[in-house]
Amino acid sequence: MKLSKKLVAITAAMQPGQIACDGFLGNDPRSLAAIMAADQAAVNRIGLSHRQIARRMIEFRDAGQKACGDWITIPPRWEVRVDSARGKLLCPFGDPGLYPKTSITVRDIQNGTEITFTDLHIHLIGRHGFYEGSGCAFRVEPARLAEVLDIN
Amino acid sequence: MIDNQQFTITINERREFRSTPGVSLLTALKGQQVFIPSACGGRGACGLCKVRVVRGPHSPLSSKERFHLTEEEQRQGLRLSCQVPVDQAMAVAIPDGYFHAKEYRAEVADIRNLTHDIRELQLRLIDPPVLAFKAGQYIELQIPRYAQVQRLSFRAYSIASPPSSPDRIELEIRWIPHGLGTTYIFKHLKLHDQVMFHGPHGDFYLRESPRDIILIAGGSGMAPMKSILLDMRERHDPRTTRYFFGARNRRDLFLVDEMKRLELDLPDFKFIPALSQPLPDDSWHGETGLIMDVVDRHIDSNRPADTYLCGSPAMINACLAVLTRKGFSDDRIFFDKYS
Ligand SMILES: Cc1cc2nc3c(=O)[nH]c(=O)nc-3n(C[C@H](O)[C@H](O)[C@H](O)COP(=O)(O)OP(=O)(O)OC[C@H]3O[C@@H](n4cnc5c(N)ncnc54)[C@H](O)[C@@H]3O)c2cc1C
Ligand code: FES
Ligand SMILES: [Zn+2]
Repeated sequence: MKLSKKLVAITAAMQPGQIACDGFLGNDPRSLAAIMAADQAAVNRIGLSHRQIARRMIEFRDAGQKACGDWITIPPRWEVRVDSARGKLLCPFGDPGLYPKTSITVRDIQNGTEITFTDLHIHLIGRHGFYEGSGCAFRVEPARLAEVLDIN
Repeated sequence: MIDNQQFTITINERREFRSTPGVSLLTALKGQQVFIPSACGGRGACGLCKVRVVRGPHSPLSSKERFHLTEEEQRQGLRLSCQVPVDQAMAVAIPDGYFHAKEYRAEVADIRNLTHDIRELQLRLIDPPVLAFKAGQYIELQIPRYAQVQRLSFRAYSIASPPSSPDRIELEIRWIPHGLGTTYIFKHLKLHDQVMFHGPHGDFYLRESPRDIILIAGGSGMAPMKSILLDMRERHDPRTTRYFFGARNRRDLFLVDEMKRLELDLPDFKFIPALSQPLPDDSWHGETGLIMDVVDRHIDSNRPADTYLCGSPAMINACLAVLTRKGFSDDRIFFDKYS
């Protein structure tokens, strides 16, 4: 009962215009719990953990930040660019803390694939195991993160 | 004291008002035009809304307060004002600077595109009709309900115009894809619309001192620097001033002509724009490289200077590293810590 009340509050904070303009759930018809369970299964299938994925995202962010908004090459096969706006954003799960408004783009130079994520994603994935709903502009697929960032 | 179901709140032992019970202390103070910093809309997440409660509620600290307040702050009676319900009379102590901010209504008097993603808004103040501020400070612009956004929110924007035009202020705003505030500003806000904001806020402003001045900015960090430089021009400030502005390529550079004009108007001012990735078509003959490397090449650690930084956290951190290595002392380096 208590848990479902909390899920209702979190789901409300994830609606468009509450914390983020477009929200966190896109047009996903599934419940938040169902979205998270499916992504947990996807992460299990590729033999990783949310923390492992988040740690790798942090490595790319930290390397990219050195270029202060420019592309920087990360051997052996990536380019990264970290763009940021001043100010910070809340986590919809309601835990205290603020996350910088960054946009981190990692491009695999060898095959041209790329993925964009934000500081808030790193927290959402590492702390909550949440990759956002389908149809949301900010949804990141666990398998694609693993592929582009070469996590294994 | 209870008076018609209201509680008396005393601020800094010199101002009193009555508040209806149930609201948070943050909301009660805001109702009196006392704007306590807040970046989370009172959700207990940002930790910015600290006030010292001198007398009053002895309610236990919430878990969010325990997260944000150090043991020392807890001992001093600090609380997160958004987490303290007004349920009895209380006395609070806040920095005097918080009294200067007011709520304003203004009209959008002009909109001008400065680059492909930066837009200048000119706001004509309606009520109150003038805003007193220090060059470098910022306002909190209210983002109203629009489209699917059904909750009021606020976004901070530095004032780009000088304090000498208190009836019209300029903002320089960079478009952020999917941003809640900038989507409103770029896609919905029109000429002659009215907006609400409160301010001025922030302790990023030009200090009086005999030292040289170094300004370092990127992107919309131009805004407070422009305000500072225009203010210096009006006050005939004689200090040696160097302004380093970093951009990726020429299309991210703006207000270059205005800055070059200031070189003629100010006694000892140089504008040093630097492009980190100039394009062949840019025909760029100026400085190239990341802004902290350009700063590193130009500044002389033997000349005492006050340094003002405004830009992304990554830029600020990289510049701080250069300045510290060169022996510039921390207490003469200024930037908006909330950004
Ligand atoms: C003191 C101060 C002064 C400032 N002055 C200026 C100024 O003069 N000019 C200026 O342009 N800006 C300034 N800013 C920044 C400004 O306040 C805003 O932060 C900025 O305009 C972006 O606001 P936004 O509402 O458009 O974006 P927001 O909606 O608040 O944030 C957008 C970002 O949030 C993240 N995000 C959004 N949705 C999701 C999601 N579903 N999942 C994961 N991540 C997500 C992404 O990183 C995205 O880029 C200042 C900030 C401060 C603190
Ligand atoms: S307003 Fe953010 S913690 Fe109180
Ligand atoms: Zn969280």
